[in-house]
Amino acid sequence: MAELTFAPGVREQLAAIARVRWQLFVNSLRTLRGRLELVSHIFITLGFAAGGIGGLVASSAGAYYVISSGKAEWLAVILWPIFLFWQLFPVVATAFTENFDTSNLLRFPLSYSSFALIRIIYGSLEPATMLSSLWLLGVAVGVAMASPPLFPWAALALLLFAAVNILLARMIFSWVERWLAQRRTREILGVLFLFFIISFQLIGPLMSRYGRSAHPDLRQFAERILPVQRLLPPGTAASAIASAAQGDYAIAAGTLGILGIYCAAIFWFLHLRLRAQFHGENLSEAPALAETSGERGIVSVGWSLPGIPGSVAAIFEKEIRYLSRSGPMLFTLIMPVFILFIFRLTPSTSHRGSGSFLGGSSDMAFPIGAAYALLILTNMVYNNFGPEGAGVQIYFTAPVPIRSVMLAKNLAHSTILALEMVLVWIGASLIYKPPALATTLATIAGILFALPVNLTVGNLLSISSPKKIDYGTFGRQRASNTTVFASFGVQIVVVGLAAITLMAARSFDRIWLATAVFLVFAAVAWVVYAVVLKGIDHMAFGHREELIAELTRAS
Amino acid sequence: MNSAAIATQGLTRRFGALTAVEDVDLRVAPGQFFGFLGPNGAGKSTTIKMLTGLLAPTAGRIEILGLDLAANSIEVKRQIGVVPEGMALFGRLTGAEYLNFVGRMYGLDRETSAKRAAELLDFMQLADQPKKLVTDYSHGMQKKLALAAAVIHGPKILFLDEPFEGVDAIASGTLKAMLQSMISRGATIFLTSHVLEIVERLCSHLAIIHRGRLVAQGSLEELRAGVEAQAAAALPSDGGQAAAVAAPGEKLTLEEIFLRTVGGARPADQELSWLS
Repeated sequence: MAELTFAPGVREQLAAIARVRWQLFVNSLRTLRGRLELVSHIFITLGFAAGGIGGLVASSAGAYYVISSGKAEWLAVILWPIFLFWQLFPVVATAFTENFDTSNLLRFPLSYSSFALIRIIYGSLEPATMLSSLWLLGVAVGVAMASPPLFPWAALALLLFAAVNILLARMIFSWVERWLAQRRTREILGVLFLFFIISFQLIGPLMSRYGRSAHPDLRQFAERILPVQRLLPPGTAASAIASAAQGDYAIAAGTLGILGIYCAAIFWFLHLRLRAQFHGENLSEAPALAETSGERGIVSVGWSLPGIPGSVAAIFEKEIRYLSRSGPMLFTLIMPVFILFIFRLTPSTSHRGSGSFLGGSSDMAFPIGAAYALLILTNMVYNNFGPEGAGVQIYFTAPVPIRSVMLAKNLAHSTILALEMVLVWIGASLIYKPPALATTLATIAGILFALPVNLTVGNLLSISSPKKIDYGTFGRQRASNTTVFASFGVQIVVVGLAAITLMAARSFDRIWLATAVFLVFAAVAWVVYAVVLKGIDHMAFGHREELIAELTRAS
Repeated sequence: MNSAAIATQGLTRRFGALTAVEDVDLRVAPGQFFGFLGPNGAGKSTTIKMLTGLLAPTAGRIEILGLDLAANSIEVKRQIGVVPEGMALFGRLTGAEYLNFVGRMYGLDRETSAKRAAELLDFMQLADQPKKLVTDYSHGMQKKLALAAAVIHGPKILFLDEPFEGVDAIASGTLKAMLQSMISRGATIFLTSHVLEIVERLCSHLAIIHRGRLVAQGSLEELRAGVEAQAAAALPSDGGQAAAVAAPGEKLTLEEIFLRTVGGARPADQELSWLS
């Protein structure tokens, strides 16, 4: 921490970095692709802005209500969702998250303080921080409208709360990145996750026990966890405002102090990572691998897939090997099960439920998990040349049609989705209850429809709108804005269609109807997939220059 | 264009208003070690990309081993090996996995691919750390691996874009040994390089491209004779100001031929006086 002194010229360095990012943006507009990116970015921003403004109004109204009705402590009910969104969204929705790669900055005479500041500031320029900050602004406005004298306390508490969130999000990212970078720490994380899955079995009985008591509603849930949540940042921030509202200024100041301690502690943990990065930390596995014994001169033969040509099997093998060595990608693949767990812990506002979100419709856990698994997979499917970098050139110099390359990649991604669905099925069974056979079949049929649609659009976008990504670094798997925007549209149509079909079938109590409809959709979708795949070589050769230029350029 | 290993006719490539390669007629005979030279931005990489199918020409025709590249791209690719700019490696595979992968992409069966991968790793002195990922290889190791990948299927023509760039003397020696052994077995090699000493030592034939146009083509002796003839022709008209082409009894080096062909003198008033 002693290194944290600002060197002269810091302002110039920060300004230079801001300027170079601006110039990169302006230069990107020279190409049609760059302009399309901008248009997509504007649409995505508008979408987020709508969420941000809607949330601002809602949080403002909520804060106004709890303060004017003398229940300032209940601000925690608003701050907790903001806190969870702030921390979970970047991890759950990696398509919108991108870490600024600061490793190149280390060659410049940059002080540690500038480096840390840049990491924190640029790392925070992402949707979760923007939206959450807007919502906190809404809380501040609501408090000010309900009780103007309370505003300074609320502003201070919310500022500290925001600082905790910004630092915590950066800290989580940097530590997860560290843990996922090397095999040993990845394995430890894997074991922890296994325990996590097993612990799901305990959640069911616990939830049903509490769910049977007299008031299985939000209020009762909140009251039970009130003492614990008060000690955590959202509760502490709410307590500080509540104490000030009651005129207990000493307690309010003390509680703000606790928030300050949170800030300092989180920053210290973040500082450990930043300092290591600043000193040129190398997370490569090379030394560890060099120590492992391997038989010199013996090369094991490649994989063989029955009925599949050698070149397709080789690409399939390469895809699976790439993924298996990417901690961040493996991490995102467990997210569907994680999200079911989150749903299980989220209290339901419905009185007919068993106390948790989806409680009344637990048979929907598998379809929702499967849909989310597909959504996660779109990160890869919609930019399937992204991780290749300069290696993409081999597909254009080798005597293999691009449609075979695409087919191999699609096969690999479909296999991963199949494994994911098995994992989600097991997760849904442990967390909720085993999905009914009819629901399982309907979900599989739904995926059989959604998969070719996504593969088709993904293949086209992978060629027309590629973006170099790094499988090895957490938070650098974001596709281009055009791809994200197009993916959004496809998901709205596909998931919307599937949800309507499933809901309609459920309302008639004939889930098999949904299965039948999905199978018809699937047949059409696979035909379209085959037609597009047949013509993909022409398109790929038409776009090869931009594709190669984009993926081989220095990042 | 029939008997040539590589032949182009009117090869042109434009990027918007910029003409990177203009009306290039190349001819490389089978078994030649052909050096393709030019200053930075002259059009070398653009040409090699067009010859290997990485870039479409705006105009002109390319024949490789008598086959039209545009019409027979898969058949042509089967017979050529390429080390492109940026090397086309997959960082998160081991060297053996990568070679295995490339071998199978070129149609080798699994066993042959694995056997050749092992032999190549051994030849390139890359077999010591079989579990090391390519991303953790040094630059020289990556160059050697890229060359190994380019030859695993036994190509008849090898295209190399700057194979010696950033490579130390030991790695460079290994690369040269492999290339010379290929030439001795009848393969054709087409390479671009800025390391003129190596090109002079290895290549039997050369072409020089400048501002997108082919300005010289032939054997080293033919190029030398051309420059000397040009200089001799210029002497009477410049009032004896031009320096002698080469000292008596000494031959022009490739570097001198290159500089005289493309012109490389830096304006004398550029001093950068602030440099310590």
